[in-house]
Amino acid sequence: MLQLLKGSNTDRLLLLAALLAITFSWFVIQAQISAGPAMAEIYHGQILLATYPLPQAGEAEQRFEVEGELGETVVVLDQQGARIASSPCSTQHCVLSGAHRHAGDIIACVPNRILISIRGKSASGYDAIVE
Amino acid sequence: MMIPRPPLAELEGKAQWLALLLLAIGLHMFEAAMPSLGPWFKPGLANLVTLLVLVMMGPRAAIAVAIGRVVVGSFFIGTLFTPTFVISMAGGLAAAFIMIAAWRYIPGISLIGISLLGALAHMLAQFVTVESLFIQQGVLYYALPPLLLLSCITGWINGALARYISARLTHDI
Repeated sequence: MLQLLKGSNTDRLLLLAALLAITFSWFVIQAQISAGPAMAEIYHGQILLATYPLPQAGEAEQRFEVEGELGETVVVLDQQGARIASSPCSTQHCVLSGAHRHAGDIIACVPNRILISIRGKSASGYDAIVE
Repeated sequence: MMIPRPPLAELEGKAQWLALLLLAIGLHMFEAAMPSLGPWFKPGLANLVTLLVLVMMGPRAAIAVAIGRVVVGSFFIGTLFTPTFVISMAGGLAAAFIMIAAWRYIPGISLIGISLLGALAHMLAQFVTVESLFIQQGVLYYALPPLLLLSCITGWINGALARYISARLTHDI
């Protein structure tokens, strides 16, 4: 079985190069976006519609109704993170992808051209239990 | 007037190509229906068929399968000419072209390396398509590195599977 997964030397070299490039870009991206408090950015196509901090424990949830290409996408920001609660698209991938709270996470509804991007340190419930 | 009967070998080749196209369409639909690991990620089994066709029948047949399976597969899923279709087509074609280039020009590469490059090209092309056509935001690329890591894994495994299958198929025929 393991013999089956054995590539040639060229294959391994390519894998190594790919892994190095991916890891490097991952570090660069994380360094850029994990500064500051956790924020959700909501975009429609090229336009930044709103930047809003993710609610901390005890804070009320926020609901945004965002007008996209097909209709209204409802974005909810709560302690779980940001999620799309409803969308007019047929695939519903964006709704099914659930809540996201880590820097670099994105939720995209391509048919409706809505994008939610998370940046900043995620103030997760787990971080708050340190005491 | 008698229409000359095509040679049997040619008919067999066409039947084999068609069988692989149908397999690719089936896998395309299966992947669309299966519970996804995320909206951006699929195991790439349909691309495995493109790779098999490439090594068994050459570049033109491989590109025809890549286009054919996206068009027919999307027709059955109900996403024909939607953004999902455009993204699938860009990914499938990019993977096919990169795999052809790797197969032709990189010495010492096996099906595993070709599949690895194909999987990476597929993921990159999808993001570039979304960024240039639908959501013109650079922040989209922030989600790319973890997905490319997954692509490395699936690309490698699919390559190993393709090597196993093609060895069996060419042995039997």
